[in-house]
Amino acid sequence: MISGVTIWRCSNCGAGFFPEPLLCRRCRAGAFTIDRVHEAVVEEVSVIHHMLGQENWQPRRIASVRTTDGQRITVGLRDQSEPGTRIELFEDVGAPFGEGKK
Amino acid sequence: MFENVAIIGVGQSAYTRRPEPGQSVLTFMRDATMAVLKDAELSAGDVNGMAVASFSLAPDAAVDLAWKLGLSLSWLSQDTNGGCSAMSMLGNALRAVETGAAEVVLILGGDATGLAGYAKVAANFNTVTQKHLAPLGHGGPNGVYALVASRQMKKYGLEKSDYGHIAVAQREWAAKNPFAVYRTPMTMAEYLAAPLVADPLSRYDCVPVVAGAQAIVVARPDRAPKGRPKVRVRAHRASYNYDNQEGDGLATGISTFADQLWREAGASPQDIDVASIYDDYPTMVLAQANDLGLVDGHDLARFCRVTIGERRFPINTWGGMLSAGQPGGHAGGMNGISEAVLQLQQRAGPRQVKGARLAVATGYGMTMYRYGGTAAAAVLERVE
Repeated sequence: MISGVTIWRCSNCGAGFFPEPLLCRRCRAGAFTIDRVHEAVVEEVSVIHHMLGQENWQPRRIASVRTTDGQRITVGLRDQSEPGTRIELFEDVGAPFGEGKK
Repeated sequence: MFENVAIIGVGQSAYTRRPEPGQSVLTFMRDATMAVLKDAELSAGDVNGMAVASFSLAPDAAVDLAWKLGLSLSWLSQDTNGGCSAMSMLGNALRAVETGAAEVVLILGGDATGLAGYAKVAANFNTVTQKHLAPLGHGGPNGVYALVASRQMKKYGLEKSDYGHIAVAQREWAAKNPFAVYRTPMTMAEYLAAPLVADPLSRYDCVPVVAGAQAIVVARPDRAPKGRPKVRVRAHRASYNYDNQEGDGLATGISTFADQLWREAGASPQDIDVASIYDDYPTMVLAQANDLGLVDGHDLARFCRVTIGERRFPINTWGGMLSAGQPGGHAGGMNGISEAVLQLQQRAGPRQVKGARLAVATGYGMTMYRYGGTAAAAVLERVE
């Protein structure tokens, strides 16, 4: 696990994006630097009870969150955080996850 | 206004939850082609344009399908806009015929992924899904639209049963459609008791994957079968990647062109007799209806409880994909167009909406990350 989630920051205007863009949607520049965002607030939560084509599926939680940098991203939740909860972000196998701040 | 072109035929294959050995997307497309040509009173030799969309055609491409169908063409297109593909292909075909690039265009959509195949499609929908969603076990589109539905319920004060009004009403229509996969009437109690798939979505909120194909023919009006009212498209508009996935998904790309669509159609939402609203989820039926201006005062709750719940306005009169099934978004979207045509031609049998003269149909799809990024709509009219 790696602390924080990768975002792509425009080298020209500083706007941050997730997922990775090709051109900056603010200033249309084409170069980005990698940055990390570490916190977010949970906006919506869903429990995935059923997955098409999967036997023995164990329910898991996902959430739409808003990072402290402003991006809205979808994360896997590793705890019972509900909407409004401030969470810490981390990456696992390259994908974004989060859990409530301790 | 598309003056010199009309939709002159509709046809479909059977729909099935589980294809039999020997059935493939190609055999379903063949069946839909035969049905639409019969309906349009044409032979394959009359067709000189084709548009096709499918998740399961690869490694074949549009030209391979043309070859297998024996069609020699002057215009050919393959569309990749998912639930918006049918409407996108319709728009392209209308313009192809109007400009003389083709005279008779066959539009085909279909899929036969099977359930396991669809799961692979859902996990590999695009690179963003592969990298950032599938590793979460996000549940495919069900998980994505569960989050959208939660937002919609919060913003508009909706209850779970509000979505149920859409599912129950469409099942009533499906009972009158022999092609629908699910035709047994459903009560609100049954809807509410269904197992959860992805909170707050339960079984009857999620479009069932089926195998099948759907086709329409677009051509100059003089190619239409004699004695049958022609269906003309008054206006057609589309939107792709309208907000870079930075909104809440509760407005669709339709919101960017709805005013222009109605202005070009010379009509208003109140003039519409019957609507085909792309229904991968009831949530998105509401979002599109709202964008089109079909929802008074943007009061989605009242729209569900009164307009739909009391059957005051006919939407998705073939049962919608929620009951008829979704053979990929491509054919699913075409079913809505086909139904609008049948309704306007007074050929919808027991589900006929009396006196239908003006219809609106939509497409919506391509769940890029947080919601769909493609949308299109058309206003169709009967011309005597």
